Amino acid sequence: MEGMSYQRFPKVKIRELKDDYAKFELRDTDASVANALRRVMIAEVPTVAIDLVEIEVNSSVLNDEFIAHRLGLIPLTSENAMSMRFSRDCDACDGDGQCEYCSVEFHLNAKCRTDQTLDVTSKDLISADHRVTPVDFGDPAAYDGDQQRGIIIVKLRRGQELRLRAIARKGIGKDHAKWSPAATVTFMYEPEIHINDEMMENLTLEEKKAWVESSPTKVFDIDPNTGQVVVVDREAYTYDDEVLKKAEAMGKPGLVEIYAKEDSFIFTVESTGAIKASQLVLNAIEVLKQKLDAVRLSEDTVEADDQFGELGAHMRGG
Amino acid sequence: MGPMQVDEQDVDDKQKRAASVKSAVDKFQLVPEFLKVRGLVKQHLDSFNYFINTGIKKIVRANDRLVSTVDPSIYVWFKDVRIGQPSEIVSGVSEKITPQMCRLSDTTYYAPILVDIEYTTLGSRSEKTIMQKKNATIGKMPIMLRSCCCVLYGKDEAELGRLGECPLDPGGYFIIKGTEKVLLIQEQLSKNRIIIDTDKKGNINASVTSSTELVKSKTVIQMEKGKVYLILNQFVKKIPIMVVLKAMGMESDQEVVQMVGRDPRFSALLLPSIEECASLDIYTREKASEFLEGKVKRSTFGSPSNQEGRALAILRDVFLANVPVSNNNFRPKCLYVGVMLRRMMEAMLNKDAMDDKDYVGNKRLELSGQLVSLLFEDLFKTLITEAQKAIDITLGRPSRASRFDPTSSVLNKDIITHGLRRTLSTGNFDVKRFKMHRKGMTQVLARLSFIGSLGHMTRISPQFEKSRKVSGPRALQPSQWGMLCPCDTPEGEACGLVKNLALMTHVTTDEEEGPLISLCYCLGVEDLEVLSAEELHTPYSFLVIFNGLILGKHRRPQHFSNVMRKLRRAGKIGEFVSIFVHEKQRCVYIASDGGRVCRPLVIADKGISRIKEHHMKELLDGVRTFDDFLRDGLIEYLDVNEENNALIALYEGEGTPDTTHIEIEPFTILGVCAGLIPYPHHNQSPRNTYQLCRMDTLLYLLVYPQRPLLTTRTIELVGYDKLGAGQNATVAVMSYSGYDIEDAIVMNKSSLDRGFGRCIVLKKYSAIRQKYENGALDRILRPDRTGPGAERVQILDDDGIASPGEIIRPNDIYVNKETPLETGGPINSSADPKDCKYRSAKQTYKGPEGETCVVDRVALCADELSNLSIKLIIRHTRRPEVGDKFSSRHGQKGVCGTIIQQEDFPFSERGICPDLIMNPHGFPSRMTVGKMIELLGGKAGVSCGRFHYGSAFGEPSGHADRVETISETLVKHGFSYSGKDFLYSGITGSPLQAYIFMGPIYYQKLKHMVLDKMHARGSGPRVMLTRQPTEGRARNGGLRVGEMERDCLIAYGASMLIFERLMISSDPFEVQVCRVCGLLGYYNHKLKAGICSTCKNGNNISTMKLPYACKLLIQELQSMNIVPRLKLAEA
Repeated sequence: MEGMSYQRFPKVKIRELKDDYAKFELRDTDASVANALRRVMIAEVPTVAIDLVEIEVNSSVLNDEFIAHRLGLIPLTSENAMSMRFSRDCDACDGDGQCEYCSVEFHLNAKCRTDQTLDVTSKDLISADHRVTPVDFGDPAAYDGDQQRGIIIVKLRRGQELRLRAIARKGIGKDHAKWSPAATVTFMYEPEIHINDEMMENLTLEEKKAWVESSPTKVFDIDPNTGQVVVVDREAYTYDDEVLKKAEAMGKPGLVEIYAKEDSFIFTVESTGAIKASQLVLNAIEVLKQKLDAVRLSEDTVEADDQFGELGAHMRGG
Repeated sequence: MGPMQVDEQDVDDKQKRAASVKSAVDKFQLVPEFLKVRGLVKQHLDSFNYFINTGIKKIVRANDRLVSTVDPSIYVWFKDVRIGQPSEIVSGVSEKITPQMCRLSDTTYYAPILVDIEYTTLGSRSEKTIMQKKNATIGKMPIMLRSCCCVLYGKDEAELGRLGECPLDPGGYFIIKGTEKVLLIQEQLSKNRIIIDTDKKGNINASVTSSTELVKSKTVIQMEKGKVYLILNQFVKKIPIMVVLKAMGMESDQEVVQMVGRDPRFSALLLPSIEECASLDIYTREKASEFLEGKVKRSTFGSPSNQEGRALAILRDVFLANVPVSNNNFRPKCLYVGVMLRRMMEAMLNKDAMDDKDYVGNKRLELSGQLVSLLFEDLFKTLITEAQKAIDITLGRPSRASRFDPTSSVLNKDIITHGLRRTLSTGNFDVKRFKMHRKGMTQVLARLSFIGSLGHMTRISPQFEKSRKVSGPRALQPSQWGMLCPCDTPEGEACGLVKNLALMTHVTTDEEEGPLISLCYCLGVEDLEVLSAEELHTPYSFLVIFNGLILGKHRRPQHFSNVMRKLRRAGKIGEFVSIFVHEKQRCVYIASDGGRVCRPLVIADKGISRIKEHHMKELLDGVRTFDDFLRDGLIEYLDVNEENNALIALYEGEGTPDTTHIEIEPFTILGVCAGLIPYPHHNQSPRNTYQLCRMDTLLYLLVYPQRPLLTTRTIELVGYDKLGAGQNATVAVMSYSGYDIEDAIVMNKSSLDRGFGRCIVLKKYSAIRQKYENGALDRILRPDRTGPGAERVQILDDDGIASPGEIIRPNDIYVNKETPLETGGPINSSADPKDCKYRSAKQTYKGPEGETCVVDRVALCADELSNLSIKLIIRHTRRPEVGDKFSSRHGQKGVCGTIIQQEDFPFSERGICPDLIMNPHGFPSRMTVGKMIELLGGKAGVSCGRFHYGSAFGEPSGHADRVETISETLVKHGFSYSGKDFLYSGITGSPLQAYIFMGPIYYQKLKHMVLDKMHARGSGPRVMLTRQPTEGRARNGGLRVGEMERDCLIAYGASMLIFERLMISSDPFEVQVCRVCGLLGYYNHKLKAGICSTCKNGNNISTMKLPYACKLLIQELQSMNIVPRLKLAEA
């Protein structure tokens, strides 16, 4: 075994990719790496979210903090968040977070003048920067364009008014969940299923059926032609052990063997819409890389991390 | 083969059960219909309405004439009385008021009591004219919200909204001086009934608490050492009962024996009493009267002429006052005593015949209407006597003004208004006329949560003192079934004494007696008058007792009661009249009095329900109402006593041929609060009770309230789904981080960021612009925004009051008020207000440091004395922090132990990440299986999109989902049937070793929050007297090293620490001590030396430190002529 090396080259295979959804395989690596990627996606990929609200008029039923909190949770498109500055280390505005490099201003101006209830939604937020706008969930295919008007902030009755100025800043999910770009990030170990064909053959059709049914998810099926039990969807298996228990209960332990592959993971990433799911993964890798760079840098010199601005902040801020 | 068979049987069984459930008529719909008719606090409203419509008229009619004793032709006659519209007289004009106005302006929500009167006036030349007056006001009556005189009565949702009232608010309380007051339901032993029990010495007592319009008395007949005595307050000693009977005209001993019954055992028991009477040499009525005369308590005052014949008068009016005596015919009373004696004898021979005081059938509930009516009666009588006195004085005066109008002393008096308001606001009922002295009858309505206030209104306050260490009244009575909630009682001293009404309970109001009595006679009751003593207890005949009064006897009691019941079902007599055949006592009890608890039941004929499918369909279609069911004889109300004559099946299918009634729904045995717990019947019972105690400590205002995923029918009926007080949290039952021991919970930071458990706390601050004796007035100034302290006035408007929406910080001024220096003295209106000198009385806000509180609302209104009162509501939005308290609905509370980042939380491969983690050790010892089922049901609910139900005992009737079906749903949606999930660690990414039980559970935030409790102090305020640090958080007090802590330190030998804690950090003080006389001297600053004032020199002065409290003690002792001397030695 001369050329045998333990060095591994992780591979990614994309299964499915939509704007807000991605499913991919990550192979030839450890749970630690997979988990690091997941954690970074949730907590450390920066986005932009409303952080400061100045309310001018609020005669709605919800109070100021309530509305401010709701505004904060609206996802904003943050494609350029990676290149934005954190307001705390922005040189242009001395960290008060009101300049164009580190913040985006929004205005909201709504007044209900009719007897009908007025829904104030994220669409009513007017952005000063066209790149940072409330995420548009409008899926013209699924809804009538008018009906789905973004995220409702508050409902106004006749005569009620809401006027405010909001400032969005860059941040990470660690500080507040509103900056997290991920709706769901999860992975699972890829299962490996071996059916003991010999034993399976000995089962009657009823027994096979009962056994197949015992899994809460549809992992196995019976081929209608051959009457053989086949694995339909390996990944539907949720490690629930139901089939194993069933096999044991039927007096056939070892009917099937299921292992989790320790080195391959199936990731599911859903984005809030702030950034595309694919971008989320890439940004996460980028952030991870920066963190590793920072570690290497800090070995050389402690002072060096001042040079790396954002990176240094990452290091210091954790 | 074996297991297969079992399976088949199982399936068969299930199908059969399913079929039987289907065939049974679903009577659930009756419950909402009942609540629509009766409402949740209908007991209060009904009784108050009864008082307003009937009771008040009766009281006034009974005392309708006010005649002057000086000149009987001068009179005031109250012809009619009614309650007007809630209104207030503002500068002479009557203005309508709404409850919300009263709450805001701290006034009372009341309506004028209007009377029509006829009276005579004296003209200037003493000529008399009879005058009429309509709608004259004699006082003001606080109005119960939503009662028939309330402005909210019969209003729909939109109208209520316009009046500023919540449509879901049940009403049933009063508003007194701006606070909402509930008159608690009072539990009492029933009046006018014979109760047999034993006293402390084991003597058998028969007692009757009589209560008529005129007299209230208590009569006790006691068996002591084999002899029977009468105990009555008006007699100094115990009176042998035979003497009493003889005095009432029953001279023959034989008749007495016959009256008690011919049974030789009875006669034997009676013999000692008869012998005693003979030994006293009393054989005739006259002798007996004479004997009694000697035993009457002589009142110290009162004319002696009155005293003659008093014994007879007492026997007539006080002794068994509920039995009427007409034309000095004492026979009914004698027979009543006979029945009492017989019951005593029976009890003696057979202990089972003893009455149980805790039996709900022997209890009456006094509702707010009755209590207010009592108060009103007292005040009205006082008003009349006072007025009469005033009239007599005026008429008696020789030189009175020529014209005289008697109404001036009756009308527009404050006796009634003030009396009612004072009593309701303090809750101290002090009605001397009825010997009633009770405290704490009213309480401020608990408004912490919707359910809390609902529960408050169904609460029953006990008759006994809470301190009594007895178990009997605290125990759960079987007769409480369906009437009083078995779960809902507080923990601690009032446990079991304070009760709550069940969901379908109705409390009766008084009903007209006359027609019922004559009906009884018509149905063949043989009148007592015509019966001989012998005939009283003939076999096969039952006594008929109506509201505690013996009417007579009936030879066919079963037939009689059947006819009466038929009449009731036909609606010919009131639906709440109860007919109860007591086989053992051989009596038929008929009751129509108020305060009995009763509940509706479905009538069954030979075990077959009268309600059929089509009836329910008609109900659903809206063509049939609850009252129609009642009228058609499908449903009837049974009180606790009559329930003893019924055989009630829980479900329709369980009926046997003997079944007479069927329950409407089993979950109605629980009250409003207990109904909110899902699957309470799977929990260990104290857990449910703990949960209920917690109900009223919920919280202030939740930011994102949710409807529980696992609801119950009661939740829907009560409207809790519209006014939720918690959130559905995804709970993982696992151990995590070690910060979850002892019921602590671990929370997900991202969930908190997204609004979980966020709540708004509102606090009221108020300021009054006082008007003073001398006409001076507080003033509120425009703030000076430039001078020193300008930063403290930032939030003030130009009017000197904080403006809404401003962030308020500690030490900010919210009302820039000044008060005049001179407030007493005569009114000097002429003086220019500018001349007055003022001192600053700025109102500053003291709140938690570093929190952003906001002025929510500012209200200006006039208070009762028409001073300007300013109310500020300050709002604080709080997110949960470590130490805040949360609770599920199963009596499982826990504090937040730590808050952890989402990425560190475990996750499933579906991406589900829990909101909070609960330690599994919370389960085994508490046995809250209901919580586990709630989790399963909630999980199934979110996955299939249907709210699941968990009503109490609801599985057979389909009001609670079964675990099997829930599991099926879970499996269908790809979850494990057991509710367990396969989770990965968020920290390492590797799978957790066990499957984790995870799913949504409804969690509520409790009002105990760290922010309100945390407290620390370095140096701070001290008490003036002792110079020691103050006590308590509110005064920024110090933390006390108490006796036990001190003992620990002594034992440890940490003397310097004790010294520091007890002296240095507390109240060190330097004193000058004279070494010669040992007394305290003083320090003379001019001479810069200590001087002993006793020795008059400064030669032997030492300076030392001691606690100020010690110095104080020495001086206080000196003031009492005790000389403590200090002997100093060199250390």
